[in-house]
Amino acid sequence: MAIITDVRRIRKTTLAFVAVASIAGALASCGRTPTVSGVLRVGNDAGFGGAETMDPYDGNRTWPTINMVFDRLVGVDKNFSPVAELALSWSSNEDLTEWTLQLREGVKFHDGSVFDADDVVYSIERMIDPEFDSPIRAVLGVISSAETVSPYQVKLTLATGEADLPLLLADYRALMTPVDSQATIGKNPIGTGPFKMQTFDPAGTTVLLANEGYFFGSPKLQRIEIITFADSQSASQALAGDQVDLLLSIDGKSAQMFGDKSKFTLQTIPSGDWNAIDFRVDQVPFGDARVRKALRIAADRQIIADTVLGAGGGVVACDTPVWSADPYRWNGLCPQDTEGAKALLAEAGYPDGIDIEIFTSDVEVHMIELVTAYKDQVKDAGIRVTIKMADASGFWDDVWMKEPAFVDSWGQRPATQVLNEVYRSTATWNPTGQVDETLDQMLDEARATKDQAERKAKYTKIQERLFENSAIFLPYHKTLTRAMGSKVKGIEPIVIDAVRWEKISVK
Amino acid sequence: MKDLARRVIFSLTTFVALAAVSFLGVDALPGDGCTALLGRFGSPAKVEACRAENQLNNPVLVRLRDWSYDLARGDLGYSIKRDEQVLKIILPRLRNTAIMGAVAALLAFPSAIAVGLMLGRYPRSRIGRAINQLSVIAMTLPEFVIATMLWLLLSIWIPLFPGVNVVPSNATVLQLLPNVWLPALTLAAVIFAHAMRTMRASVAIIQTMPFVESARLRGTKERVTIARHILPAALPPVVNVIAVDGAWLLTGTFVTEAVFNYQGLGRLAIDAISDRDTALILPIVLFGLAVYLAASLSADMCVRLLDPRLRTAGQ
Repeated sequence: MAIITDVRRIRKTTLAFVAVASIAGALASCGRTPTVSGVLRVGNDAGFGGAETMDPYDGNRTWPTINMVFDRLVGVDKNFSPVAELALSWSSNEDLTEWTLQLREGVKFHDGSVFDADDVVYSIERMIDPEFDSPIRAVLGVISSAETVSPYQVKLTLATGEADLPLLLADYRALMTPVDSQATIGKNPIGTGPFKMQTFDPAGTTVLLANEGYFFGSPKLQRIEIITFADSQSASQALAGDQVDLLLSIDGKSAQMFGDKSKFTLQTIPSGDWNAIDFRVDQVPFGDARVRKALRIAADRQIIADTVLGAGGGVVACDTPVWSADPYRWNGLCPQDTEGAKALLAEAGYPDGIDIEIFTSDVEVHMIELVTAYKDQVKDAGIRVTIKMADASGFWDDVWMKEPAFVDSWGQRPATQVLNEVYRSTATWNPTGQVDETLDQMLDEARATKDQAERKAKYTKIQERLFENSAIFLPYHKTLTRAMGSKVKGIEPIVIDAVRWEKISVK
Repeated sequence: MKDLARRVIFSLTTFVALAAVSFLGVDALPGDGCTALLGRFGSPAKVEACRAENQLNNPVLVRLRDWSYDLARGDLGYSIKRDEQVLKIILPRLRNTAIMGAVAALLAFPSAIAVGLMLGRYPRSRIGRAINQLSVIAMTLPEFVIATMLWLLLSIWIPLFPGVNVVPSNATVLQLLPNVWLPALTLAAVIFAHAMRTMRASVAIIQTMPFVESARLRGTKERVTIARHILPAALPPVVNVIAVDGAWLLTGTFVTEAVFNYQGLGRLAIDAISDRDTALILPIVLFGLAVYLAASLSADMCVRLLDPRLRTAGQ
């Protein structure tokens, strides 16, 4: 693995080196497999190496294909507010524990059968089934039951009040599947979405056809081809050579390959993906809140973000997992405070500083750079970091959540989800083992508050508390770079969850 | 003949021993088929259930025994992660790598022997030395640099070939063919330099030997001298290079296949390693082993046929 990563790294440099030349050359080129009107070719990485399934609730679900074939009950708009998708409206009781959803009528699945409340109940029951243990249970596990009220009305009962249930239902995996589809859906998916499956080949090329009569309007494209690449650099080469039209995420550093504005469109989109360094509170000295705070304030986060992600590649976070476009984001300030960190360490009994080991691995891009940049940032505060390299293949099993300090990586989640999934004391994947009953109580209160402004105030208090007390150093959220041929129209520079596939066209 | 039988037995023993070592080595890696399938958020209970279902909980020696038994019957095993028989995954990719390797070999070896022969006959010529120096560069440049340069030249600047492969692993040969050229040219550049330089050096030495001199003094036509005397004597070192490079064409194409997204064995191996699909890694390792042993065995036999001294030495 290390060799392969090295090779990729060197190739990246080589590609950057030839990029300037390639732009000049590309002008003279007419391409080998030129763009066809009405067909969108999407380059995709081999996320799960052949284990991909179209079952949206399975851990190996293939993204973004599932979002072209299926619909959610609730979508999001560019401001990350919930909007109607298969549900037209929703309302709750006073303590937010019972939600009633009014469904869209006249919607048909790709096989012609009618979508109704039974499909919703079936889908939700699969998502929250403890035996099946879908990853989406971490999001919607708060739902304890779903029942049909009328053919187009569903009632969801929650274990605890949750004001942001509509946002949780907008998760990209919370898709509606037809009754009794579990056995067949993995390879022969039947959805209500803008595109129907023609050929499913996750290691090669998956072909989707337009679903004429889609309830949001017939797709402008006739066909989508999703082409898998083992290596992100070869995917970039394919875009440069007009062999694909769209790459949902490219390494910001290879963006210069696509500088020719007449041929390519680049979009930079702030996202909720984050890296962190986690400290186990059951290990000395991380049990001491003063040490934890010193470890977090000793670094200049902007420099770390710029070093790791490239200039403009990230948005600084003050240890809050709530990302920049989330309505509950707390925009506190957290400049580097070397003296403050030293004082806190001295107060905690470490006047000469501390020696710590941080585990990292090349299991994901950015993980090694993060620790290297951090080490450099905190040395003036007397924090001496030893970087421990772990093998990528055992990282999640043997290092993550087990060693005293380690790097971490999470995808975008709404505030209520990420706080409850990662920070709540009892969360399965609480990586630091930190138990903070006050925080748990604050989380319960915030999610059960019906008034939006009041709720926002409570979430702000929670994030301020994290900055004082948390054992997770979270310096940035990543900004994604999306690249496409200039003939692709209709993709707004917004998070992919809000992109409407039926509105995309290729001229 | 006795000598040959001894070589075959030695190769087979080596294979069996290394196969067992490979099994134990891959087994010692962290993770197994179930952790590979279930990933970061696979709960311990689910991983345990998966292991029980696939008999991964048996002691390692029991699993080694079962695996060897299956292997002896031609059953390469089953990839839990890909939910497919390993043989069915490997075969189409092996075909693709073999096609690419064959094209590269045809592009490189005959021309390397011809050019090497030509340059070897005039070892002091300026052009000859210049070409020789150039081939050192081709040998030392990493494949991904050659690949990227070829891609730029023959796909972007002069759009002759598709830049990267976008047809699936089980595509027809006809669909695959346009995509073969760039990776095959990359591989050919590397092996051409090896074979050509060896040939050149070998010819340069052989043609000063007394038996060549005497043929010339006898008034034998130059064409016949080359065909009868120089070539057979100069070829043995080249045959060894061709054997090793030929084996490399089937087993060492990781980087080239990744650069061009070519759906062969090399790309599969990279995927299998990064997915920790141990059931798939092992047969690929064994295949590489078998190819190298077979290549070295057949090179020995070819050299024996070419060189009259070795032909009689064993008798």
